[in-house]
Amino acid sequence: MAKVEKRGALSEDTLRDFFREMLLIRRFEEKVEERFRAGELPGFLHVAIGQEAVAVGVCRALEEGDVIASTHRAHGHTLAKGTHPNELMAELYGKLEGCSHGYGGSMHLYDVERGNMGANAVVGGGLPAVTGAALAFKLRDEPRVAVAFFGDGATNIGTVHESLNLAQLWRVPALFVCEDNGWAESTPASQQLPIEDLSKRAEAYGMRAVTVDGQDVEEVHRATIEALAHAREGHGPVFLHVRTYRLTGHYVGDPQVYRPKDELPRLRETEDPITKLRDRLGFADEEFEQMDREAHELVEASVEFAKAGTDPKPEDALKNLYA
Amino acid sequence: MATEIKLPRLGQGMEAGTIVRWLKSEGEQVEKGEPLYELDTDKVTQEVEADASGVLLKIAVSEGEVPVGRTIAVIGEEGEQVSAPEAETEVDGAVTEADEQPQEEGSRAPARDEDRARGKQASTNGSEQVTEIKTPEPARADGRVRASPLARRIARERGIDLGSLRGTGPEGRIVAEDVDRAATAPAVVTVADRTGEVERVPLTSLRKTIARRMTEAWQAPAFQISMSADMTRAVELRSRLVERVKEGGARPSYNDILIKVCAAALMRHRDVNARFADDAVELLPSADIGIAVAVPNGLIVPVVRACEVKPIEQIAVEARELVTRTREGKLRQEDLEGGSFTISNLGMYGVEQFTAVLNPPQAAILAVGALDERAVVENGQVAIRPTMTMTLTCDHRSLDGATASEFLRTVKDFLEEPGLAL
Amino acid sequence: MPELSYREAVRDALSRAMRQDENVFIMGEDIAEMGGSMGVTQGMLDEFGPERVRNTPISEMALVGTAIGAAMQGMRPVAEVMYEDFLTLAAEQIVNQAAKHRYMSGGQLKVPLTVRTQGGAGWSPGAQHAQQLEAWFAHIPGLKVVFASTPTDVRGLLWSAIYDDNPVIFFEHRTLYGLKEDVPDELEPIELGKARVHRQGNDVTVVAIGRLVHEALGAAEQAEAAGISVEVIDPRTLLPLDEQAIVDSVKKTNRCVVAHEAVTRMGFGAEIAAVVQHEAFDYLDAPIERVGAKFTPLPFAPVMEEYVVPHAADVLAAIKQTVARGD
Repeated sequence: MAKVEKRGALSEDTLRDFFREMLLIRRFEEKVEERFRAGELPGFLHVAIGQEAVAVGVCRALEEGDVIASTHRAHGHTLAKGTHPNELMAELYGKLEGCSHGYGGSMHLYDVERGNMGANAVVGGGLPAVTGAALAFKLRDEPRVAVAFFGDGATNIGTVHESLNLAQLWRVPALFVCEDNGWAESTPASQQLPIEDLSKRAEAYGMRAVTVDGQDVEEVHRATIEALAHAREGHGPVFLHVRTYRLTGHYVGDPQVYRPKDELPRLRETEDPITKLRDRLGFADEEFEQMDREAHELVEASVEFAKAGTDPKPEDALKNLYA
Repeated sequence: MATEIKLPRLGQGMEAGTIVRWLKSEGEQVEKGEPLYELDTDKVTQEVEADASGVLLKIAVSEGEVPVGRTIAVIGEEGEQVSAPEAETEVDGAVTEADEQPQEEGSRAPARDEDRARGKQASTNGSEQVTEIKTPEPARADGRVRASPLARRIARERGIDLGSLRGTGPEGRIVAEDVDRAATAPAVVTVADRTGEVERVPLTSLRKTIARRMTEAWQAPAFQISMSADMTRAVELRSRLVERVKEGGARPSYNDILIKVCAAALMRHRDVNARFADDAVELLPSADIGIAVAVPNGLIVPVVRACEVKPIEQIAVEARELVTRTREGKLRQEDLEGGSFTISNLGMYGVEQFTAVLNPPQAAILAVGALDERAVVENGQVAIRPTMTMTLTCDHRSLDGATASEFLRTVKDFLEEPGLAL
Repeated sequence: MPELSYREAVRDALSRAMRQDENVFIMGEDIAEMGGSMGVTQGMLDEFGPERVRNTPISEMALVGTAIGAAMQGMRPVAEVMYEDFLTLAAEQIVNQAAKHRYMSGGQLKVPLTVRTQGGAGWSPGAQHAQQLEAWFAHIPGLKVVFASTPTDVRGLLWSAIYDDNPVIFFEHRTLYGLKEDVPDELEPIELGKARVHRQGNDVTVVAIGRLVHEALGAAEQAEAAGISVEVIDPRTLLPLDEQAIVDSVKKTNRCVVAHEAVTRMGFGAEIAAVVQHEAFDYLDAPIERVGAKFTPLPFAPVMEEYVVPHAADVLAAIKQTVARGD
């Protein structure tokens, strides 16, 4: 599927499309919170409310053959990379129809056909494999790029440093997208990062680094396109330092006692990427409501699909261990 | 349509929460996502947002502890009628307040408890196989006696030969208990001082099987018919057969003759060579006759196959071989399966007549008593004849009195005049 | 029949694979110009070039993790971790990632990765450079674990490990690198999961791995002189384990000794003993004896090192112990 490279501004239609995708992610995540509270979704859930523009801006810039690896906060990336909400919801419900067939759950979402090499529950755990995938592309002379998502907290762990170091050393076609939302679970940046500008971490390894406003989907998209070109042309990996906001708790149910009381309401006012894009595109209320209805319908349908899905047999646990 | 607001489970292990105060009053407009009330969950006090938009029609619980899932308010359209939900401001006795409920990530998702139960059950089902009760075999072909290390040690210490023991452990292995039992069984019965205690002999697996099958048999509606046969000709037949047997060979017994006679009779009365099968009576093609063999603590019925085509000499050899193997505990499952008729003989104990219990699903079983000289009436005169009484127990679901009687008559006739069986 | 050392046999397997298959490449610390700290990859840089014989920085997590990523994209990388003690650094990637991608994705992915490493005491390396950690990885569902003890075995098994579509942790033993043997002209792949009977016997089965295979064979000779007939089996693959071969042997001999250089407690021998106990319960005439290192880190002073580590004499003592008891 050939994709015309967009230089310069994105068309209204494309932005509308991005908006729909971001809205879908938002409604999906809200539904996930609701279903969790109803006691239907087991395990951990980490929703990406507030970070939709990063997921959509990056993933929509990718071409066929590019791959991503995500984090514990993977729903947004997974949807933006093309997995249908039905399959994602079914996975959260632990059904065979889920994208990981019930074996992975929220933090181990895989959709290999669509280039999703898996979400990782170990902070920084997926980065070395992205370096490796990019190495494979380079050795085989393929014009593909491997993209890793991770947070600001992850930039403290050894795997990330080793991966950046090696990726730059070997000049592999990789993109390291750091979603800097200022929080590592309950620990604010001030308590875990001795520096403020995380792009310096990449520069320390000699890697090209770009800082981006993660709440502006156009800016994210543009920066990604440029970074991809850089990598594809063999100039080496790029570190995208994306400043974004987590407009929700670390996990669903997190009372966020550690967060200053006024922060969330203020951020929701000023930093909601969906509101920003909506304002930018100037939708009439009816148009927005129509889109919202459609998003809700898709999400409701995904819950029905999931609930009607097939439970694995207990003995299915013994399958898929070895190739 | 009004929406009931229920207390949400905000974290793993949260069973209840305490409403501190409401941030909206009854009658006020509420937007979904707006903070609605303050909730205290032991570790933290937090604002909880409204799940729906509309008018706060009713506050069911104004303050205090509420279990998770309880309706605490109703939001709907202005003027909607709301039936007061079971508003209990009292805390249920079942909800304990003392429990520490730390805010934890993740949830067990109580709605999935059934799934968990299913997985758990499937997991243990696989390992709790009910094994078939196998005929115990203490010695195997390679000469190794299967016994646990503990059993060996006890046997060694007490000078007991393992080879003489029957095992009741896993897979018929001899275990310590088996050795203990052997060690304490005295050869002579002494008159012990009666303290009046009841000795409880636990059922061996063999006894359990017998008990189960006999109970099963008892459920079939059964009737019995008896006849006595003049065994004069049978006695002659036997001595002639014995003469022909080589040194060391199997000497045909009256039981062997009886087996052959019954087989011939069964082929003439096919209705008796049958078994009950719920919705049909299966007439079997061959007379596979089971012979009841007493073993210590029980009764086992190995089967001699196709008796209708085998000569008495061959039946004698096979029957003897089966009895030997039975007593040595070397029977195989196939020796016990598929019989069409059974003969039980208590003649050697001097029993004149008895009634055997059916061997389900077989249609009939023949109980045979002792062969005795008895006074009989012949042509108005008293004569002495070797006589044997036979009692046929029949499953009334498969057989009627007339058919059974005709069969038994045939058996009697054949015994009294063997040539009739040709 | 050429004579190859264990070291040369490893190199031979790697080289043959790389010659015929572009997807195979090797990476590790100091493997290029230096030819590896154990000299295993000597000459390979010249033959295959720096793209396929890649030196890495001292980054075990990235080293193994990158290999995982390349494997997930369909290549067959062979990553070398210089000392198996350093597997501890790469363990997160091996255990949490490589072993689990296939399962967590519901079967969508394969990780055809081979991690080669080595360990072994006897040269005063000190506690952090001589551990034997095969038991750790045999405990992880999703991995395969191989530990070859002869040149022929290591060559055939490494080939099979490279072409197995699952992550394989391939243990080599330092003191065996110089061991020479006649090997077949052509490389004969050896199936994973198949044990090898080195020596037949009737009185006791010795199951040994790594260096202890050779110690066991030495002990068996001495036992023979004392009238004890010893069967020596090398499982070669620890996961999946060839339980059948081991159990069949014990059913024949009625006695069992397990031997490895790793610490006895919680070592791989415990798993073998449990399997034998369960499957051959009625055939055992004596308790199963275990031979391994004493429960300490490896001391430096040679006199202490030799005390801690097991030798042929320990295997012989175990053999005699099992034969002394019996019905």
